[in-house]
Amino acid sequence: MALHDPVREEELVKAEPAKGSFRVHRDAYRSAEVFQREKELIFGKCWLYLGHDTELQKKGDFHSRRVGGRDLIFIRDKKGEVRAHYNSCTHRAAKVCRERSGNARNFTCPYHGWVFSSEGGLVSQNAQTGYAEGINEDGHLDLRPVERLEEYRGFWFVNYNPNAISLYDYLDGARDQIDALMDHTEGKQIILSGEHTYSIRANYKLLCENSYDGYHLFPVHASYFDYLRDQLAGTPGEGLIDKTLASYNTAGAARALGNGHAVLDSFVPTGRPVAQWLPSMGMGTKAEIEARYDSLVRRLGEERAKYIAETQKNLVIFPNLVINDILSVTVRVIEPESHEKIRVTAWAMGPDDESEELRALRLDNFVSFLGPAGFGSPDDIEMLEICQDAADHTPIEWSEISKGFGRAGDPLYAEGPPDDEVQMQAYWTMWDSVMRRINTLEVK
Amino acid sequence: MNRSEVEDFLYHEAELLDEWQTEAWAALYTEDSLYEVTSPACADPTKADARNTLFLISDRIERIRGRANRLTKKTAHAEYPRSKTRHLITNVRVTGDEGEETKARANFAVYRTKEDTSTVYMGEAFFTLVQTAEGVRIRHKRCILDLNSLYNQGRLTIIL
Repeated sequence: MALHDPVREEELVKAEPAKGSFRVHRDAYRSAEVFQREKELIFGKCWLYLGHDTELQKKGDFHSRRVGGRDLIFIRDKKGEVRAHYNSCTHRAAKVCRERSGNARNFTCPYHGWVFSSEGGLVSQNAQTGYAEGINEDGHLDLRPVERLEEYRGFWFVNYNPNAISLYDYLDGARDQIDALMDHTEGKQIILSGEHTYSIRANYKLLCENSYDGYHLFPVHASYFDYLRDQLAGTPGEGLIDKTLASYNTAGAARALGNGHAVLDSFVPTGRPVAQWLPSMGMGTKAEIEARYDSLVRRLGEERAKYIAETQKNLVIFPNLVINDILSVTVRVIEPESHEKIRVTAWAMGPDDESEELRALRLDNFVSFLGPAGFGSPDDIEMLEICQDAADHTPIEWSEISKGFGRAGDPLYAEGPPDDEVQMQAYWTMWDSVMRRINTLEVK
Repeated sequence: MNRSEVEDFLYHEAELLDEWQTEAWAALYTEDSLYEVTSPACADPTKADARNTLFLISDRIERIRGRANRLTKKTAHAEYPRSKTRHLITNVRVTGDEGEETKARANFAVYRTKEDTSTVYMGEAFFTLVQTAEGVRIRHKRCILDLNSLYNQGRLTIIL
């Protein structure tokens, strides 16, 4: 029995613009019942990230992934088309694919030997007798395809609601952010070799909130900034950290992008492989990074080039995809196991046409801060776990997410300085309207 | 170095870590050293190169010292309150011995208790050790975990 009684559905998010008050009931993080409803309404109706096109290089390449609690096979079939099948034999339910990734022309169910093609068609039932002719005429014994599968600039998403609005419409203002990322290079942005797979004992929404939180930077990452200061001591970059941090809140913005998506644009002097060279990155990459900046200007104009090159961008695509284009680029997907446990998979992304040296620097930047063993992310994780633990074991009803609330009209498109909480207000406004079926995300 | 000399040295390294003497641990590393932990997802972890594949950890000496120093601070939240750890080192094999340099492999199991949760990091470590005027030092240590993910362990914030 919980310390607290679950509150009524309509009271989980309480926004009072006149009072500048925006509160989220902690049952939204700690209640198994709320999570059950989220499985139906959030993970059953929103577009969920499956994987990137460049993870399927060759025909037959596949990854088996759990997305919104459902096991899928993400595959480029033998004709070259990208597909997502449910990973379950249509005969008696067994998993037909037990590998995490690989290349296959067919999947053979290990239980009774049914064979399915990469396109999903049932090829063989491994039996000569007993089945009526034409038993699969309507295709119901083929591997079940996911209800919807669409992509935007190589990012493939699934939706389990056949009547969902298009991915294009769903992404709304987040499309511009994906464009900014994919336009880093004249070549192609690719998912790089390797991935981080780890877990956190916290509600998935706590990690979303944290991923674009400008307010937590100094308390949580003090030891990382200490490390950067030590690295820059005695170099031309000395003093840069404190100078930039002092002006952190005077430049950049937290911007809501519609449908609960939002980005935090900020300035932190880590250097950016896309096109912002700093002395800490070493002379070896200076010329290439400057040439990449020139290419941005040539292709996209000075203003857009500057935005792409210099702004740190922490993007959350509702409900569970994070794309951080910061000192390195990470694509991070959050898979909830329960209301209080998540699995995280994170990849590095970079241009296919960068030098070995710049690639090495990009990955070095990544592991210096990000991932389960970096100097940044683990401290975030600890914060999320103590939030969850305390929410679970105290009776306190509300979390206060009011910073910057009430200035703008529609929270779904609000904007504020980097350490405001308008991005989270946008997230929760969307969450609330999907959970209360006000926004069905369906084609009218 | 022969096997028992390597063992003595690795036991010493383990002892420093279990006593949380992280800066003394960092002092065991040479100026050109590399401390690495490959990602469990890595297809070929013995041959993989952190310059083109995402690792969990790939620290040159500045970051080895940075990691050691960070772990002494209260602001390294992930390790505050500090974990208890126990490093077990077994199956030590000397695989190469040329001049000052010795190559060795060892199996390891590192137990970590944070709050009331205990987990284990198990795998094999590949060492390049070097004799210097100050004693034995580590030039390269690569840990390869026998895991497919960190779903059970959560994160890796101790030193293996």
